[in-house]
Amino acid sequence: MFAYVESLRMALSAIWDNKLRAVLTTLGIIIGILAVTLMGTLISGLDRSFENSMSFLGRDVLYIAKHEWFGQEEWWEIRNRPDLKVDYIEKLKNQSKYVIAAAPVAMRSVNITRKDEMAMGINLAGTTPEFAQTAFMNIESGRFYTEGEERSGARVIAIGYDVANVLFENENPIGKKVKIGNYVFRVVGVTEKQGKFLGLFSMDNRAIIPLGTYQRLFARRGWMRLDVKVDDKHIDEAKDEIIAIMRRLRGLHPEEKNDFAVNQQDAFRQQYQTMKIAIGGTGLFITVLSLVVGGVGIMNIMFVSVKERTKEIGVRKAIGATQGSIMRQFLLEALLICLFGGCIGIILALGGSFLIDKFVFPSTMPVSLAFISLILSSFVGVVAGLAPSYKAARLDPIEALRYE
Amino acid sequence: MADLIKLSGLQRYYEVGGETVKALDGVDLIINHNEYISIMGPSGSGKSTMMNMIGCLDSPTNGTYEFEGEKVHEMDDNQLASIRNRKIGFVFQTFNLLPKLTALRNVELPLIYANIPKDERLELAEIAMEKVSLTDRMHHKPNELSGGQRQRVAIARALVTNPSIILADEPTGNLDSKSGVEIMDVFDELHREGNTIILVTHEAYIAKHAYRTIHILDGRIEKDAQNKTTKQRKIQSKKKATA
Ligand SMILES: Nc1ncnc2c1ncn2[C@@H]1O[C@H](COP(=O)(O)OP(=O)(O)OP(=O)(O)O)[C@@H](O)[C@H]1O
Ligand SMILES: [Mg+2]
Repeated sequence: MFAYVESLRMALSAIWDNKLRAVLTTLGIIIGILAVTLMGTLISGLDRSFENSMSFLGRDVLYIAKHEWFGQEEWWEIRNRPDLKVDYIEKLKNQSKYVIAAAPVAMRSVNITRKDEMAMGINLAGTTPEFAQTAFMNIESGRFYTEGEERSGARVIAIGYDVANVLFENENPIGKKVKIGNYVFRVVGVTEKQGKFLGLFSMDNRAIIPLGTYQRLFARRGWMRLDVKVDDKHIDEAKDEIIAIMRRLRGLHPEEKNDFAVNQQDAFRQQYQTMKIAIGGTGLFITVLSLVVGGVGIMNIMFVSVKERTKEIGVRKAIGATQGSIMRQFLLEALLICLFGGCIGIILALGGSFLIDKFVFPSTMPVSLAFISLILSSFVGVVAGLAPSYKAARLDPIEALRYE
Repeated sequence: MADLIKLSGLQRYYEVGGETVKALDGVDLIINHNEYISIMGPSGSGKSTMMNMIGCLDSPTNGTYEFEGEKVHEMDDNQLASIRNRKIGFVFQTFNLLPKLTALRNVELPLIYANIPKDERLELAEIAMEKVSLTDRMHHKPNELSGGQRQRVAIARALVTNPSIILADEPTGNLDSKSGVEIMDVFDELHREGNTIILVTHEAYIAKHAYRTIHILDGRIEKDAQNKTTKQRKIQSKKKATA
């Protein structure tokens, strides 16, 4: 027992005698630990913003489009596919027992103006009132437009949070007029702040108008998506059923391929998993590499330490140190150097995580990772210390004493 | 009681470049408790080799070594370490103190390996420092001490575990004659207190402090005799004991 306390004391004082050297040799370990913890922080942040983005795409909403998300088809193949039609919506709702709500969505980029203010590059969606159910958005003030307005082609518009901020700094936008090109619209609602989707495009940077109005003013034909909200207990059945209905609507023969795609949140999840594995793999590679380099450095410095202290080892053996106690002393020294590096790494990582959290995206450093880091650095320390410690333990006392 | 030390036909050979160096070539020797022995002989005759052997730092090529009846030549490394720790105190020509530790810490060191609790360690170390009259230098580092003082610290370290024997290989070799005499006074006193002491020296006046002098030549004991003055000193010490 005392022997362990003493070994610890000896190891500590040996490190203290060579502070700078200890810090330098531990650099590899520091980088390794830094890499693993920062990677964890990064992934935690990505996870969080990904889940946040996924909440814009309900798990129970299927997105029927001409192309598959992250699909492998050639662009020209997709181009040749017939457009989706608005009247599919009614047919889907009538023929499927799982559909709860469905909305066709057409979209283009426009500039919205009001007096001198202009909101540029706004995603303008033309859709039906059921979009409010399929799109996971809430109206912050005002209301969404009605069936009646939709059918009559009324020039009403719901604007995103950011659009409202740009055009109506301190005013209440409800009931005010905005212009898209030369067309005047009346603002009926403002949607709640939602944030960015996968950090790419803002969900608050959009505006929504009735589909009828959209088609009359901007495009009769063209790109369209059908958002279908289904019973969340039967998502897979619903998907199969919708595919079957769509094939019927498209008049496809059994041997023909689908000329449409039913997309789901899962597509993003799979894509994200792949990316996460890539990030994790890279981080792991850096970690392992720097830990190995760090370990070799520690081993090297421990060999130097053993060499320098050959005489001391001889003296200790002469007065009764066993091989075990010499081994323990040097192993502990290597272990402490590595743990020390690990702690510095964690402290730096805490700083790095704070910066990421503040300037990149909300994230936290996983506590478990800090523990893993410490265990990892201890492991490196012990492995790196083995050979030098063994060498020290096996030194012949007489030769060691004679060493100058 | 068994002899303290019994060497029989002890040999220690070194193979150097295909040649055999016979550092010890058949040593028979018995040492009893409370003996005071000096070992003399020309350079390279095997004195240090024999001291290392007695000190359990080295193992014989042939022959047997019994320490208090236990067969040292059959012991494994841990047993040897334990004997060195508890039964043997080493004093070296070059002191061999650990430079970063204070005198007291150096003296304490063998007790750490003996697994003795801290308070007791410090107490024993202080007692040992008293025996070598260095209580005022306990917290000095070795490089803050004179050669003679360093050697006294080394002696304190050797005797702190209360060993069965103290081995000193040319303890005065690095000292001026005045410090050398002081060191010998310490050994004389330790012997009077009942310790067993073996020391190697090249100086006849140092060797005379011992009661028995062994002469070594080419790895063999050439002469082993009681010193002239022994009788007188025995009478002296008896007088002391009765007084
Ligand atoms: N490790 C070794 N390898 C080879 N030969 C050795 C080794 N150690 C000692 N010797 C040889 O053994 C012989 C005895 O050496 P030892 O050191 O015992 O002599 P010594 O009597 O102590 O001499 P000195 O008075 O110079 O200290 C010498 O010839 C020496 O060269
Ligand atoms: Mg010698």
